[in-house]
Amino acid sequence: MPLYVEKKPEVLITEDGVRTDGRKPYEMRPVRMTVGILDKADGSAFIEWGGNKILAAVFGPREVHPKHLVLPDKALVRTRYNMAPFSTPERKRPGPDRRSVELSKVIREALKPAIFVENYPGSVIDIFIEVLRSDAGTRVAGVNAASLALANAGIAMRGLVAACAVGRVGDFVVCDPNHDEDMWGDADMPMAMLMEDEEITLLQTDGPMTEEQFREALKLGRNAIRFLYEMQKEALKRPYQVVERSVRGVV
Amino acid sequence: MSESVVLVKNREVVIPGQALAKGRFKLGRDVYRDDSGFIRAKKLGLADIKEDTVSVVPLSGVYIPKEGDIVIGIVSRISGSTIIVDIRSPYQGVIPIPRGRATERVDMRKYNLKLGDVILAKVKAFDGSSSLLLTIDMEGLGKLEGGYILEVEPAKVPRVIGKRQSMLTILKEKTKSDIIVGNNGRIWVRSPSLKELLALEKALRKIETESHVSGLSDRVSSFLTQELSD
Amino acid sequence: MFESEMLTHNLLKEYVKDLVSKGQRIDGRGFQDYRPIKVKEGTFTKAEGEAWVELGDTQVLVGVKADVGEPFPDTPDKGVLISNTELLPLASPTFEPGPPNENAIEVARVVDRAIRSADAVDMSSLVIVEGKLVYMLFLDMYVLDYDGNLEDALTLASLIALGRAEIPKVEVKEDGEIEVKEEKWKVNLKDLPINFTFVKIGGQLLLDPILEEEQVSDAAITLAIDKEGRVCSIQKKHGKFTMEEILNATSIARSKWPEMAEKVREAI
Repeated sequence: MPLYVEKKPEVLITEDGVRTDGRKPYEMRPVRMTVGILDKADGSAFIEWGGNKILAAVFGPREVHPKHLVLPDKALVRTRYNMAPFSTPERKRPGPDRRSVELSKVIREALKPAIFVENYPGSVIDIFIEVLRSDAGTRVAGVNAASLALANAGIAMRGLVAACAVGRVGDFVVCDPNHDEDMWGDADMPMAMLMEDEEITLLQTDGPMTEEQFREALKLGRNAIRFLYEMQKEALKRPYQVVERSVRGVV
Repeated sequence: MSESVVLVKNREVVIPGQALAKGRFKLGRDVYRDDSGFIRAKKLGLADIKEDTVSVVPLSGVYIPKEGDIVIGIVSRISGSTIIVDIRSPYQGVIPIPRGRATERVDMRKYNLKLGDVILAKVKAFDGSSSLLLTIDMEGLGKLEGGYILEVEPAKVPRVIGKRQSMLTILKEKTKSDIIVGNNGRIWVRSPSLKELLALEKALRKIETESHVSGLSDRVSSFLTQELSD
Repeated sequence: MFESEMLTHNLLKEYVKDLVSKGQRIDGRGFQDYRPIKVKEGTFTKAEGEAWVELGDTQVLVGVKADVGEPFPDTPDKGVLISNTELLPLASPTFEPGPPNENAIEVARVVDRAIRSADAVDMSSLVIVEGKLVYMLFLDMYVLDYDGNLEDALTLASLIALGRAEIPKVEVKEDGEIEVKEEKWKVNLKDLPINFTFVKIGGQLLLDPILEEEQVSDAAITLAIDKEGRVCSIQKKHGKFTMEEILNATSIARSKWPEMAEKVREAI
């Protein structure tokens, strides 16, 4: 039986547009990204976003097993999105469910356009995303982290992929829906862009929006993604700057 | 032709997709030209702007074989007339065992290898995807006896060797060790004692993490002097 | 531990053995030294208790989640503890996605057995209504980065996670309805059974092996010591030991227990 009962807040958003966590409609939760926290993986990243804590790791390009999966002219890209048993209020049974299988697929399709797969024929690039703590928006957080892990692994890419969800709560289009809005909001729209040309590589919508709301949501999503992209760049460069500063003795 | 513009500083850390330049530059390694003519980085690395060429010197990444490379491999399988070799790459190396009499100049003892043996080999041919031919039929190549294997990021191998082997000379002299560096980032070492080996290992980590900051040789040299002082 | 799945080279074995014969290890430690142990600060899960432990380059994250349910029919007066280990594919190039394999299950059981055999968690304190309703504790052990000796890292993290766990109080009202209260209770750790893993190389016992040492070892054993200094669980893994070697391992472990127990207490 559940030890934690979800309670729907009386008001999801006030008339002035104040959300259950105090944010304005266009505001994002705090985000922190760290690159290279695992030793054995070829590339890794950790993202903390609101209450989300997500690890991503990349192995490869490496040899394909089993052999019959080999693509002669390009790299195979495999993705596993997985939620830890302790990532949710109620313990989640280990192992893939229908949701995580679908998310693994859409995340792979979000990242693949960024990878020069033709540079690594006959090999495989494995991307693993582990949600340690979930708090709405895990797939977009996972995409941001996985994209960093790919770059950290030194894989040839057209550009980074950055991602953010937007949604609708009543009449408001909101950025980065929180847990309450994810549960009881009216629409949820995760999106990702390949930052080289800002084309969309992940887009899902769950819930109705008018044309006007939809346009606003896309625009809000793009602006949020641009902001996250700046954070990604900073996260990738930071370790090198830290070393440079310590070597040069600059405080 | 449009005007040539450089958008980054030389040796600046750049990320995949970052625009480096536009105009009449040749494409060096690990860059591509997008539809609107910008030359962009393919990998996380250091921008390398030469007079007519724009490249990126990657800071990480697995080893992709090139013809002529010297690699340190581990025998992973022996099947009939071929020896399969792991070279820490997506691609397995193959060494065909020559048929005894036909090639008399071949030293057949070299091919008497066991599973797990460490060999120094040369990349003879690579088709870019599946067939990777190695050879040990040259003086100095073949099984490595004794010593130990350390690993560095394959992308950092040029820094471990240095210009005209300058870094490698420092490492060898300071640690009084025999060192062979494979292009695939495996490094064979024979040190007088554990102390020198551990110091060398630390020096290699230093090269990996500080390769983007100039003055690396001097820092590694004084680090090793200090580490091995008493 | 998983030597058959990993490619090792022959120089490794020769070199490690040669060093051991001179009383040295490849990372410079003494035979009875642990690698640095760090308990990471912060909250990383939604568990009732958690611990992210770094043992050298090995990293594990353990979470304790609670639920309530019926006790097992043969133990109506005891709560339930269920242990599970996931060797995540991001922790090692040799780990593959999929349900726990025999290695993962063995590690989970080795940790579980230490905790159970020392009666570390007071199982009768988990009873809400005898025979009807008990707390169920799920000990989920996540391996994030594998550089040898998962058993000891997971045991430390599990004890810390259990010791830190705060679980919502559940009461059964007179009409039989179950009420979850705001109030929390803490798991009572009666003992700190600590696992010590040794490998045998060249006839010598090495505590806390790194991956390379596991790969070239002739034999491996994990044994748990309780607060009385008693051996409370043992798992001999691959290879063979003399009786003297096993007695030697237990006395080394016993002498190390206080310092390890202190680390656990500090972290809780």
